Amino acid sequence: MYSIRQVVGSREAALETALVLRQVVSKARFSNIQQLIAVIREVGRRLAEAQPKEHSVGNTVRRVLHNVREEYNSATKGATGASRNVYSISKFVLQGQPRKHTGGAAKSEARITLKENDPSDPDSFARALKPVLMEAIQDVLDELETVYDNVSKNAKDHIHSDEIILTIGHSKTVEAFLKSAGHYRNYTVIVAETAPSYQGHEMARSLSAAGISTFLVPDSSIYAIMSRVNKVILGAHAILANGGLFAISGSLLAATAARAHSTPVVVCAGQFKLTPLWNLYHEHGALDFADPSSVLGFDEGKLVERVDVVNPYYDYVGPELVDVFITNDGDHPPSSVYRLIKETYDDDDHEL
Amino acid sequence: MVPAPLLDVHPPAGSPNGEASTSHQKSQKQIRPGNLRTKAERRELQERQRAAKAAKVAANGAPGKQVAKPKEGAPLASAAKPKPTRASDTQSRPAAPVATRAAEKAKAGQAVGTVDTTVKNQARGLLIFSHFGLQKPVSAAKGDIHPAVVRLALQFSTFKITGANARCIATLTAFKTVIQDYITPLNHSLSRHLMTYLSPQISHLVAARPMSVTMGNAIRQLKLEISGTDPDLPEQDAKDALCRKIDTYMRERILIADQVIQETASSKIKDGDVILTFARSSVVEKVLLDAHASGRDFSVVVVDSRPMLEGKRLAAVLSEAGIQCTYLLLPALGSIISEVSTVLVGAHSIHTNGAVYSRAGTALVAMMAKRHSVPVVVCCETYKFSETIQLDSFSKNELAPVGDLFSSFPHNKPRESLTLENKPNLEILNPLYDLTPPTCITAVVTEVGVIPPNSISSIPVALGRLL
Repeated sequence: MYSIRQVVGSREAALETALVLRQVVSKARFSNIQQLIAVIREVGRRLAEAQPKEHSVGNTVRRVLHNVREEYNSATKGATGASRNVYSISKFVLQGQPRKHTGGAAKSEARITLKENDPSDPDSFARALKPVLMEAIQDVLDELETVYDNVSKNAKDHIHSDEIILTIGHSKTVEAFLKSAGHYRNYTVIVAETAPSYQGHEMARSLSAAGISTFLVPDSSIYAIMSRVNKVILGAHAILANGGLFAISGSLLAATAARAHSTPVVVCAGQFKLTPLWNLYHEHGALDFADPSSVLGFDEGKLVERVDVVNPYYDYVGPELVDVFITNDGDHPPSSVYRLIKETYDDDDHEL
Repeated sequence: MVPAPLLDVHPPAGSPNGEASTSHQKSQKQIRPGNLRTKAERRELQERQRAAKAAKVAANGAPGKQVAKPKEGAPLASAAKPKPTRASDTQSRPAAPVATRAAEKAKAGQAVGTVDTTVKNQARGLLIFSHFGLQKPVSAAKGDIHPAVVRLALQFSTFKITGANARCIATLTAFKTVIQDYITPLNHSLSRHLMTYLSPQISHLVAARPMSVTMGNAIRQLKLEISGTDPDLPEQDAKDALCRKIDTYMRERILIADQVIQETASSKIKDGDVILTFARSSVVEKVLLDAHASGRDFSVVVVDSRPMLEGKRLAAVLSEAGIQCTYLLLPALGSIISEVSTVLVGAHSIHTNGAVYSRAGTALVAMMAKRHSVPVVVCCETYKFSETIQLDSFSKNELAPVGDLFSSFPHNKPRESLTLENKPNLEILNPLYDLTPPTCITAVVTEVGVIPPNSISSIPVALGRLL
């Protein structure tokens, strides 16, 4: 389903992945934690390979793995206590993850007696651990389902009356954010068309139907109107480990123009978009190209034969161009994205 | 024929009070203690006025285009009706001052659709863009307009002739015809009467599309020549002299200037260069063809954008001549800019501080190029110099008509997924020009040399002429 781009949208992909993993875990047979992890990783790798550009798939797998390990660790608490007394960088690193650990400890207080690798009853381990694992995966699912609500929670604090907001493309997170602010504030949104997908048209229609005063402009006028724009709000396809992001083609223009006018750039994205990846080797984003016929149609005949057409789908926007990431887990500057990634995922899972 | 688009949101000529009230309410949101009414009465009054306004608008014809001012109220009124969801809690508070003003105006006997709060909020946002192309619509053919001018106006308004140079040449050619057909009435001198004769012709062209700086400069020069005509000269001689002067102007300041620029700029193109250009400039086209003809081996990246999508034509012309071309749309610029060696763009006009007023999107291209340390070269003849200084793209701009006039949407995109016309709460703006700040420009190639943007102001003085 992934490989033929039938599941469209990062959040849908993430939800589907979580559901698949839940099924896998509920039916899996394992007698120790390593086996379970291996099973999940194998499934995750196959899912991620089917759609290598959809990073949210891999992120959800990593998230599930992280939660599974956490539940396991807190269920077998006694064994892991000793490592805390080591005076080293590892202690600093461990203590750098306060939130997740306390959360994990609070959840599963009931100490489950686990017998690993029991030859007489190979399924006992699995049976004992499964309810806890199901809970862990359910957490991931719940978080994914409430992404839009949580991101839009503080929308009215970020947008003030009579502001002019510029946005590009059709990100559902940004749409929810703007509509939520629209309930409390009177402001104007300018939507750039975002050729050649023209997603901006849908966004403009949706926002205006929700009662927000909207303008639809072609991408060519982004610099022209930037002097009147108070904020630029972008959606992200994936947030990279250095605080940069992959976003729909055209976002780099908007962010750069905003920088030139000292206009704040805000990125709204769910935490499932955090990806432990770096964009070291390519200036342009994600090496994902879309259909060139939307740039130069085949009806152009002679022109199509002689001319090369480039139609990249994503842009890479560097961390120096972004002011804040608004996620379902709060607001973060680009400089602390590395820490978020450390807290959300385990180091072993960076390569699935 | 599509006349120049207006973005007058509130009907200024129709009800100036409407404008005053909206601006007044911008600052005031408290309940006026003077004229207290019950909420129901106020609501009823508003409904009555809305209905009256709607009836008046329905009598005027289908609303939808921003053509004439009285129709401006219509999209707003229709926007007001399907939007009762709009913050009903805010409606009670401003309803009182709204109702009081409405009451006054109702007494004055004017329909007041713009008084509605929802419309007021919308109007406030749109006010910011009302600077664009403020046009006074000229009634069709006031006085007798020469048929050449009528035809030209039609070509302008349907965008058959576009581009600063093309429009100027077309205008001057049409005026040559007008001058030849002109007959001085008795007891008038040619030098004085011809100017008054030309004024309505010029207004007719301006009504079709706002005048370009090139047209403005050329017409100013023409008026200077006309007023300097020797009054003793027989009429036909005077007319011939004027036509010769027009020819000289066109030849020297446009055609020969273009040739000089061509040679200068193409000598800057080296083998292996990747030249990036935006939209379609007649001068840049000539430069690239000339460089190719002199045997240089380079490739061109044509960046294009809506609303006009002119770059496609340029790509066709260049690839026909055998130049290796890449074509892409503006959002893809970030991916390719690091591989470009020079950016070559044209201009509509250039200001004394070096800022370039050019096709919308040029500023983005120049900005990205600067960020990647790619030199930006602007090709601009000296007759395009403008004495004014503009600070942003708002003070003077033009909006393209709403809709798919240029067939610039891809054919494989279903029309239902696109928004091609204004809807309630949704307004489509297509600015045609933008201003590139001088900091983004590396050099300007003119027929008098290659100059840095900061020195533009000294060129007319150095050449001893007033532009």
